[in-house]
Amino acid sequence: MKNSVIIKGTPHGIIVVLDDQMEFSELKKQIVEKIKELSKFLGSAQMAISFEGRTLTEEQQREVLDIIAEYSDLHVICVVENNPELDQVFEKALNDKLMELSNTTGQFVKGNLRSGQVLEMETSIIIIGDVNPGASITSKGNIIIIGSLKGTAFAGAGGNNNAFIFALDMNPVQIRIADTIARAPDKPKKGENKEAKIAFLEDGNIYIESVNRRVLSDIRM
Amino acid sequence: MGEVIVITSGKGGVGKTTTTANVGAGLAKLDKKVILIDTDIGLRNLDVVLGLENRIVYNLVDVIEGNCRIKQALIKDKRYPSLYLLPSAQTRDKTSVSPEQMKKLADELRGEFDYILLDCPAGIEQGFQNAIAGADRALVITTPEVSAVRDADRIIGLLEASEMKQTQLIVNRIRPDMVKRGDMMTSNDVVEILAIDLIGVVPDDENIVISTNQGEPIVGSDAMAGRAYMNICHRLLGEDVPYLDLTIKKGFFSKLFGKN
Repeated sequence: MKNSVIIKGTPHGIIVVLDDQMEFSELKKQIVEKIKELSKFLGSAQMAISFEGRTLTEEQQREVLDIIAEYSDLHVICVVENNPELDQVFEKALNDKLMELSNTTGQFVKGNLRSGQVLEMETSIIIIGDVNPGASITSKGNIIIIGSLKGTAFAGAGGNNNAFIFALDMNPVQIRIADTIARAPDKPKKGENKEAKIAFLEDGNIYIESVNRRVLSDIRM
Repeated sequence: MGEVIVITSGKGGVGKTTTTANVGAGLAKLDKKVILIDTDIGLRNLDVVLGLENRIVYNLVDVIEGNCRIKQALIKDKRYPSLYLLPSAQTRDKTSVSPEQMKKLADELRGEFDYILLDCPAGIEQGFQNAIAGADRALVITTPEVSAVRDADRIIGLLEASEMKQTQLIVNRIRPDMVKRGDMMTSNDVVEILAIDLIGVVPDDENIVISTNQGEPIVGSDAMAGRAYMNICHRLLGEDVPYLDLTIKKGFFSKLFGKN
């Protein structure tokens, strides 16, 4: 006979996989059997529960929870909805909000970042000092360096394509914005004068340009 | 109270030991009581550079482990009456000593000496941690090469993280002719990258090789490098000394006799 009720355990909850063909009343009996069988094993932990394999109405869900309460000592704290579409909506809403936050809030850091040192932040970063070769700086938002960028900088680490990197002297080993990587040319240009520059992502390419009105007006926050 | 100074670089072969020997000898010439401690356990060579190898009886590890008194292990340099060496052990490794033990040793020596110079091993592992543990000041040595500068940057970061009170830079082996051609970084370029105070610039000088091989410090001699080391000693004492003009000027007579 095929297993119409499967109970899977995770560290923080249990997943109840239900047959979606069977009559609900019949399924309930099966659940009772299964819970009785496992009640010792499950103990009296506090857990979250999630249903898979079958979409239950609210009424049905309540009935299953009652069975669990009656035949085991488990404390079900919450029911985790298993809906991929809804999940994606949540994720997107959350990411958008976080992205906006990381873009518009920033942290000031003073000092030089030296070889081997790593700075990682959820927000944008304004660093007053140099980022030396061998050092790396990672932000989910923008990176602004009041000094030289000679190391590695990664802006928009959460996947924000609008992130930018600004430096008074732009001479990076590598720049990353969202999923795009740009590296320094193998033969460095000599005698290029120091100039404030900004790196941004456009059409899947990273551009480094002098700061001017047009570039600045294109920045999206 | 004596000052404890560690001489470090990250990269090997940039001149830590040579600098330790010459700065130590220079300070002794200026009538300071100086002790040099070789912390490079297992790769002992400060004694060789000073020409004192044949007098080693006890070493740093013996002192730390209590096999002898500090006094017994110190080697007095005949040429400089106020210069002493505490040699490293050759048959042991860096794990024979802990940072706490080094700090204790340095503090014990403070009362006795004006300057305690620690010759640090290359690298950033235990040997480095041992050497910097008790130090008040660090002299970071680099040569004007990207690899050495990169390692110096890493070292400065680690020194900052361990809250070293004062960190200063020595740029070693500058070749004025190459700098002039634009093939070598200037000391200013190095300072700009590392962003710490400069305390000395030492030119590349073949006399250094001769002096090292003979076990005779070059400091105080007329050679460019010897003068540069002496200037570093004066700056350590807090004097304001102008930097040497390293550009090679050929005078009439030297042109005539082919001497430089």
